[in-house]
Amino acid sequence: MFWKKKKNVGDKVTIFFATDLHGSTVCFKKFVNGAQFYGADVLVMGGDLTGKAVIPITEQDDGTFIGFQTGSNVTLASQDELDEFVNRVNNQGFYPTIMTEAEFQAIKNDQVAQAKLFKKLVVERVQEWADYAGEKLKGTDIPFITSPGNDDFFEIDDVLNDAPHVQYHEMEITEVRGYEMLHCGGSTKTPWDTEREFTEEEYQSRFAELIPQVQDMSRCIFNVHVPPYGTVLDRCPKLDENLQVVFDMGNPVSMQAGCQALTDTITEQQPLLGIHGHIHEGRGNIKIGNTTCVNPGSVYPEGILQGALVTLSDGAVESVQLTQG
Amino acid sequence: MSDSGGEQRIFVRKASGLIRTASGTDTFIYNLGLVSVGLGVVSIMFYGPAYYPGGDLLLSCLLAGAAMACIAFGFITWTVTLPRSGGIYVFGSRILPPGLALTLSLVEITAWLFYCAIAAYWIILLGISPAFTFIGYITGDNSWVELGAWIIEPWPMFLIGSGILVLSGFILTIGMKFYLTIQRVVFILAVLGSILLIVVLASGSNEDFVASFNALMGPILETDEPYQAIIASGRENGWAWDGTIDWEQTWLVSNWPFLPLIGAAFSIAIGGEVKSVERSQTYGMLGAIVGALIIWLITIHLSNSVFGYEFLGTAAYNLLEGVGVQTDPTITLLAGVLTGSPLICVLVSLGFIFWMWMWIPGMHTFGVRAIVAWSFDRVGPEPWSRISPTRHTPVVAIMFATAITVMFMALFVFTEFFSAIVILIEAAVLAWSIVLGAGIFFPYLRPQIYEKSPIATKKIFGLPMMTVACTLGFFAAQFYFWTLFLDEIAAGHDPKQVAIVGGIFVIGLVFYFVMKQIRKSQGVDVTLAFKEIPIE
Repeated sequence: MFWKKKKNVGDKVTIFFATDLHGSTVCFKKFVNGAQFYGADVLVMGGDLTGKAVIPITEQDDGTFIGFQTGSNVTLASQDELDEFVNRVNNQGFYPTIMTEAEFQAIKNDQVAQAKLFKKLVVERVQEWADYAGEKLKGTDIPFITSPGNDDFFEIDDVLNDAPHVQYHEMEITEVRGYEMLHCGGSTKTPWDTEREFTEEEYQSRFAELIPQVQDMSRCIFNVHVPPYGTVLDRCPKLDENLQVVFDMGNPVSMQAGCQALTDTITEQQPLLGIHGHIHEGRGNIKIGNTTCVNPGSVYPEGILQGALVTLSDGAVESVQLTQG
Repeated sequence: MSDSGGEQRIFVRKASGLIRTASGTDTFIYNLGLVSVGLGVVSIMFYGPAYYPGGDLLLSCLLAGAAMACIAFGFITWTVTLPRSGGIYVFGSRILPPGLALTLSLVEITAWLFYCAIAAYWIILLGISPAFTFIGYITGDNSWVELGAWIIEPWPMFLIGSGILVLSGFILTIGMKFYLTIQRVVFILAVLGSILLIVVLASGSNEDFVASFNALMGPILETDEPYQAIIASGRENGWAWDGTIDWEQTWLVSNWPFLPLIGAAFSIAIGGEVKSVERSQTYGMLGAIVGALIIWLITIHLSNSVFGYEFLGTAAYNLLEGVGVQTDPTITLLAGVLTGSPLICVLVSLGFIFWMWMWIPGMHTFGVRAIVAWSFDRVGPEPWSRISPTRHTPVVAIMFATAITVMFMALFVFTEFFSAIVILIEAAVLAWSIVLGAGIFFPYLRPQIYEKSPIATKKIFGLPMMTVACTLGFFAAQFYFWTLFLDEIAAGHDPKQVAIVGGIFVIGLVFYFVMKQIRKSQGVDVTLAFKEIPIE
């Protein structure tokens, strides 16, 4: 019954889980600060740390700057306007970069140069975040655990592996406060052909590699970026061939975009908990058999951090609370 | 900072999730369906001339449309700033105390679920029963007349109405795809019904109608000229109009177009699924208002011309007051009389019924979404957000909402008192006005969120656009709260009913604090679901 008082036992662990921040600095700072704010013992970031767009801010001959915002170009006439614009773009998850008009004209049709610029800015942002987490969590025993999403460049791996207060794991089983955590990043195939995508067969192989390493499945947490297929956690808008959402009577038509191999594995293995992301619209908390599966979703462009506070106690999921901070 | 136009200066890489959804057209269709255009025009023409003699129905529609446009403007700025699904609960929970945010949401959802029951009741009372009766009149088969009378007795009414509500819940349980398929068919039929009504009215004249009506209804009402007799008996029994515009009545009667127009802002419930949110929500909301007004203005003008304002007023007055010569003057049925065709009567009535049906699953869905959101935030029981593993729908929340609507149906049918609790709409409008009022201050109290809004840099008279829009919306909502409050016909302020509305607010607060304590005993602090995490 929902009003039943739960026992307060000794091995209680509260995990604050968020995912898919896509470069939003304000959301990342909220996530790190969420440990103290929510009284969490463990921070888990589910992947897709990296953003999706670079915003060139081009200096003009008259000393003003031109930037791009919500569908149109804006002129920034003062240093205050420039600073405010840069801050806003950072918080939205984009990468502002100041360049001359000539540099912009040179790079705007050069895909290779754009990709190089993108990776440079992404790595810089991840390094800033890692430094921020290290500073904020210094002196605490709160682990910061993360693993890659499908959109994350491979270039961020070195930054996160080298960060002193970040535990970056992929295709590993680790120990977290008396529980095991299985880390499996990336996603199934997407229409965008992103960095880390795998077929269903590859996911079957990946789980087949990891499952034998788990000592006690009843105390195992699946930190798997892609959600299980055929659930509310993987429900997203259906796209047409032009990557536009399909609508029916004003309502978006939905489809499933999760991983069937994960559903099958959870159904068969029955781990304690699954924490997932990838599908921003798939916010929810479900059961697959006895396994609790959570996707907190993501609304990072608004600067609001969606998360999940999961409390584990005595080898069981005591509570799951979805948050919007 | 100024808009400088030109080429798009942004480099985008291949990445998943770049999907925001409904276009302006989609949002327009969603909202127009929830305006229930047919129900609006039928209720305006039924209650307007009867109880607001001298009230200019065309001007009242324009007044209601202007006010609703202001409310929509306010909600557009809210949903552009917080483009997420969930309606006023999402907005309120970002700035108001959590208990108040939940309470406003609960009040709003109670009203919408109550109106689900009323819509089911009206389908029978104003749609099916009169259609049966007039089919009986036109065909001369009395069994239709008897059937029309039988289905509005309490138990048949309750059972059929509950069946409609359970059907709505069942459709939602099956899944969104099935629901949308049903709605698409219903929407097309409803629009065709409205077009047919306009065509029938445009091709007739007052002389045609009077002749047809007198020929058909003379034997039934046992008078040679029932059209004239209805008008005369209405005037004898108190219905009065001197042929001029009464401005007070015009103001009060605008409640009737305002009530269905509320549906034009319901796309706040799907804010998270709307792409180009500023443009789409603007077109969607304002387009639905304009679209509904166009259909109403044409239909009202034609109805007045063909049936006669005086006849419509006295006929409804006689029927509602139980005096004089009585007949049902619902315009869908009068259109059937005008043509003398049972088929036209059935088709136009079906169009009207379909418009009312559009309301039921639409508002049902609105309620279910809020209930699931409460559960997500742990201020509602966990089973409410439980998702069916086979249907992927929140079955428990749907069943709970359906049970509430059936309970309202029972109260509406079996008790005289609850059949008059239409003032719940006042509570919903009040809840909206509070959220709009909070929006006035949002840019100042939550600058870190507002600065990311696409309208953050837009100013009107030097003030943030959201502040201006929500000020307009707040005053428009307050205007109609008090207009409804002062109108005994549309809503009113009967002390017992006002107490019930106040009681719902109290229940919301009590519910929140009880859940808060329950969760606290489980080690969960529900207030965390609403709080902003500090950045530094």
